[in-house]
Amino acid sequence: MSAAIWMEVLKAKGRKIWLVVAIMMAVQLLWAGWAISNKDANDLAQGWLFFLYQFPMLNCIIMPVIAAVVASRLSDVEHKGQTFKLLETIIPTKRIFAAKFIWGSIYMLGAALGQLAIMIGMGVVLHFGGPVPWGALVGYLLFTLMVSLTIYVFQQGISMLVANQMVPMTLGLIGGFIGLFSMFFPQGFQKLVLWSYYGVLMQVGMNWDPITRATDFYWKAIDWPGLGLILVFFGLIYGVGQILFVRREV
Amino acid sequence: MNNIIETEGLSKQYGNVYRVKDVDLSVPEGAIYGFLGPNGAGKSTTLKMILGLTKPTAGAITVFGKRVNSKNRLENLKHVGSLIESPSYYGHLTGAENLRIFQTLRGVPKQNIVDVLKIVRLENQQHKKVSQYSLGMKQRLGLASALLGYPKLLILDEPTNGLDPAGISEMRELIQSLPQKFGMTVVVSSHLLSEVDQLATRVGIIREGELVYQDSLTKLHQYSKQHLAVRTLNNEVTKAFLSQNGVTWEAEDDYLIIPQMRDTRMAEISKALGQNNIGLVRIEERKKSLEDIFLELTGTAVSL
Ligand SMILES: Nc1ncnc2c1ncn2[C@@H]1O[C@H](COP(=O)(O)OP(=O)(O)O)[C@@H](O)[C@H]1O
Ligand SMILES: [Mg+2]
Repeated sequence: MSAAIWMEVLKAKGRKIWLVVAIMMAVQLLWAGWAISNKDANDLAQGWLFFLYQFPMLNCIIMPVIAAVVASRLSDVEHKGQTFKLLETIIPTKRIFAAKFIWGSIYMLGAALGQLAIMIGMGVVLHFGGPVPWGALVGYLLFTLMVSLTIYVFQQGISMLVANQMVPMTLGLIGGFIGLFSMFFPQGFQKLVLWSYYGVLMQVGMNWDPITRATDFYWKAIDWPGLGLILVFFGLIYGVGQILFVRREV
Repeated sequence: MNNIIETEGLSKQYGNVYRVKDVDLSVPEGAIYGFLGPNGAGKSTTLKMILGLTKPTAGAITVFGKRVNSKNRLENLKHVGSLIESPSYYGHLTGAENLRIFQTLRGVPKQNIVDVLKIVRLENQQHKKVSQYSLGMKQRLGLASALLGYPKLLILDEPTNGLDPAGISEMRELIQSLPQKFGMTVVVSSHLLSEVDQLATRVGIIREGELVYQDSLTKLHQYSKQHLAVRTLNNEVTKAFLSQNGVTWEAEDDYLIIPQMRDTRMAEISKALGQNNIGLVRIEERKKSLEDIFLELTGTAVSL
């Protein structure tokens, strides 16, 4: 197994996949800077809550794009060079799928850690109110990773099954937009859509007073059923993706 | 002699059409088995089934004396090198890096990379990106990947496809040297009769999914041995006369084709024909070409 993963690392050489992650992180950093720049001292007191509310929202579109690009970049070399028919005579087909998943996960982890660094960095520099909420930040990392890996394995399944990478890229973008707008849909619907789980697993809620036009953030309990469901989603998508990949004939 | 590959009733259905039907292949140890057939005859499909890349609709496959199933497939394939349809490669990596990937996954010594690069004569191009390789170089890299583990069995599907004449003869010499040098058994498919003729020791000919010939190349050549063609003033009477005297014949245009025979026997026959007032006007020697046989077997004109 470890050999298969190292070979994924070698194959990713010169494919500039980290550059994609870095660009998306730069977008996130710029956006965070812009969002925080028109806040007054009062708002900054709620800075951590504000970030932990806004970042998951932004993730609905940022992370699916990263997942789609990474999965596609890792898979297209196999389609282009018609390598599956050779690889499958050397190592188990399941292992090809697993090795790619594990290496792809590293990019998703990188992106999630990058976001964490942006939040903590800005929070410390701009003196957000109160101590650093480590518990909530670790929760954020875990939930973001959980949802992102589920979306990633969905993208990888399609990227490895379909040679034309426009198909997974388009599906990834459509998913991201549905996730973004699912905030405006009822809870029940949100839980059916993979891409809306960044919102489902948010640890912060927001009250908006239409008269004073003031926003107030508050801590929210973790949506345990939602967390259970995303785990089920992950297992199902990984399982189905792997079965389809193993069954397909080259 | 042991058979390295044996298939029994191997069949593959796509939709409701059998693209490979009841194929009983037998590849003896140490052979260069030429798997010949026109495009679309089912060569690649058969070879993919042997490698477990495609699931047979019916039939059994035995490799190295072991019946292949999904459990022992990869264990068996440790001793098999393959190149199916077109070489597999990562264009953004160098030739050496490509081989490094397959060598690591196979778990064979690193030294093998150096060795196979030498065998296929790519040492000087090994640090070039494969996307900049010519088709012939890619093909040789594909062969190098197949050779990495010094397999007992090498399966090469149309390895000379798209090569120029120099490349073809180079690839042929390379393949020809493998059985003696490394004790490999080689299966090489082709749609070119001339190629199989120059390369193989045993031939299997596939037509529309069915194996229509399988034997040594020498046997195939015997089919193309010489015949005699005779023309008389009355071929109908001649036919009856020949049959009476135990000579097989075949009508072809104005001629009757009969087997090659000793001069004395032919003299007897011509004398007897004269006595029966049948005017013998022509006796010619004819040679059925290998191309004609291929045409008869496959119903397709030879592409040269
Ligand atoms: N995956 C597939 N689905 C449907 N038909 C296929 C598939 N693969 C091959 N065929 C058909 O099977 C026949 C044999 O193909 P192939 O084995 O590639 O022939 P060859 O290698 O002798 O040129 C062809 O008619 C081809 O169109
Ligand atoms: Mg073919």
